[in-house]
This record gives sequence, C-alpha cells and structure tokens, in this order.
Amino acid sequence: MNEAVNILTRGFVRENPVTKMLLGLCPVLAVTTSAYNGLGMGLATTFVLLGSNVVISLAAKAIPNTVRIPSFILVIATFVTIVDLLIKAYSPELNQALGIFIPLIVVNCMILGRAEAFASRSGVWYSVIDAIGMGLGFTFALLLLSVFREVLGSGTIFNIPLVGEDASTMLVFALPPGAFAGLGLIIAGLNALEKKKGNK
Amino acid sequence: MRPIIILTLVGLLSASLLAVVDDLTREPIAQAKAEMKRKAIEEIFPFNIDSLKTVKTDSTTFYEALDKELNVKGIAAEAWTTLGYSGRIEILLGVSPEHRIFDYKVVSHLETPGLGDKIDKPKFKAQFKDRTLGDTNWKVKKDGGDIDELTAATISSRAISDAVVRGLEFINAQYPKTTEE
Repeated sequence: MNEAVNILTRGFVRENPVTKMLLGLCPVLAVTTSAYNGLGMGLATTFVLLGSNVVISLAAKAIPNTVRIPSFILVIATFVTIVDLLIKAYSPELNQALGIFIPLIVVNCMILGRAEAFASRSGVWYSVIDAIGMGLGFTFALLLLSVFREVLGSGTIFNIPLVGEDASTMLVFALPPGAFAGLGLIIAGLNALEKKKGNK
Repeated sequence: MRPIIILTLVGLLSASLLAVVDDLTREPIAQAKAEMKRKAIEEIFPFNIDSLKTVKTDSTTFYEALDKELNVKGIAAEAWTTLGYSGRIEILLGVSPEHRIFDYKVVSHLETPGLGDKIDKPKFKAQFKDRTLGDTNWKVKKDGGDIDELTAATISSRAISDAVVRGLEFINAQYPKTTEE
C-alpha cells in the first residue's frame, strides 16, 4: 500500500511532469492563457494517460521490442482521438478554445514517457495509480500557470472579471513570452519552497 | 514475422475502436455544432426567435429569424474578412428587416489575446448597433471614418469593419430593401 501512495504522490511535486521533469511543455505553454483552458487540457491529458497506461501495462509483454514505440504511439493516438471526438460532441466550447492542441496530445512526450518508463514494466494497478498521480500533477501545474497568466494578463479568473474592462493588465502574460516567464517563475518558486523545506 | 503481426493487430484494434467511437459521437457532434450556431444567432438578436430559416446562396449563408406569423424579424449573415492581424476572421452579422445592425458575433479569429480579441467584447461592439451601410463612414477614426478603433488593435478594428461591410453588402444583395426609410 505504501508503494501505491508513493507512486500517487510523486507525480504531484517530487516528480511533477511539468515543474520537475519539464515534459510535455508545448501544451503547457500554449493553452494556459485561461484557467478554463488549462483545466480542460490537464483533464484531457489525464484521461489519455490513464487509457494508454492501462492498455500498455496489459499488452507490454506481448509486444516485441522492435515495434514497441510504434505500438505505444498507436495506442496513445487512439485514446487522443477518442478524447477529441468526445470533447467535440459534449463540450464544443472547450473544443473551440483548445482546438489543435487536443490532437497534439499524441506527441506529448510525458505520455510516451510514462508508457516507456513505467507502464510497460509495471502491473495494471500501479500503472493506473501512476497515471492518476502524473495526470493530476500535470493538471495541477497547468492550472497554476494558467491562473497566474489569466489573472495578470487578462484580469479574469475562469472568465470571471476581477477588474473592470478598462483596467490595463499585464498583457505580456497573455502572450507567449509570458508563458515562458510564468513557467520559469513557478518552477523557481517551487524549487525555493522545496529547498526551504529540506533545510529544516 | 511476429513484430509485423503484432503491430498489425494493434492497428486493427485501434481502428475498430475508433470506428465505434466515431459512430457513437457523429450524431452528438453534428448536434453540438448546430446548437453552437443557433446559440450564436440567438445572441445577436435582441428578441426571442420562434423559428429560423436557413438560406444558402453562392456567396454566403443567411439565417432568417421568424416570428409566429412567419414574418421576418431579423436577418443574420455569415461574413468574413482576410484583413485580420493574423488571419481570417469570421463573424455572424445580425440586422433588422430595415438592415439596421443589431449586433455581430465573432465566430472564429486568431487575433492577439488581450488586444485584438477585444473585437468580440460588448464595449467595442456597441458602436455598431443601429448603423446601416449608407449612414456610416466605415473607416476607423484614425483613417477619417466613424468607427472607434481599439487601442493597440487598429488592424483588428479595421478588419471587423471590413467584415461588417461585407455582411451588409451580402444582405443588401439578397434582400433588396422594398420600402424607403
């Protein structure tokens, strides 16, 4: 049981895919212009990760080494397409906001990374926990960055205005350079926090 | 030989699963798309629509908002511009039967977040209300016209003006005014 808790929690801070491993940064930087987008992207990625981890942990032994990567990518692409279709059908607003970045989850190296480094060598049960931990860690990081950027860049949070429409906001945070700066600041902040904790 | 068989199997399984999901979601996706359009049309008219009539022509698509007696209460037209800051902007323009603008809605755009995307904010849109093709100089104020451009988004503002004019021209061509104002 301890092992399970360990796997679940490490995706959150200690091995957070975004702030520690710096994996899958393309969607992290691109879609975090609003909290709603960040949350949607995080949850979509979590679903794909869950699906691919389960299938790959079950099928890994049957897949020969030579076609391992193509098979994993196929599995991942299948789940991404399912998510894409589901979002199109049941949340057209989110589809409009995330657009091309949903299909691009296929190339999110965090998912292939988990398939390679964890799911292909572990049982289903641990792979599910790993997917949940990593997925929530990813979502958490996206949410953190997107709230930061939305509040400073647009003066809103979850599209609810915090300041008047005329107020001048720090526009740079709504634009791509702000994504890099924001992510850098968040990573620095988390590292500082961890260091402080470690020194106690 | 084994790798080929396995990879083929994985591909077949993926394809069949996707075929099933595609089949299940095709209907809801079409519905969601129609609903989004309907919602956009409802938003631009200040009254409740009893029924909608879609008129497709070579140039664009029109939507006639009808009341219970099937009188036209408003006309919406799909219009676009290629003058956007970073590409095509598509709008849905709603006018009264006298061709006075009710409102428009930006359906898709690629303008800069925080600057150009204000073209879809009520504050900018308000100035278009009640204007007609003839009574307005459709240039932005900077170019000597009547349209108040957005600060730091003059190009986007010009683009919207262009799209609105295109929409009004479409409507004029399809629904020539019968009564003089």
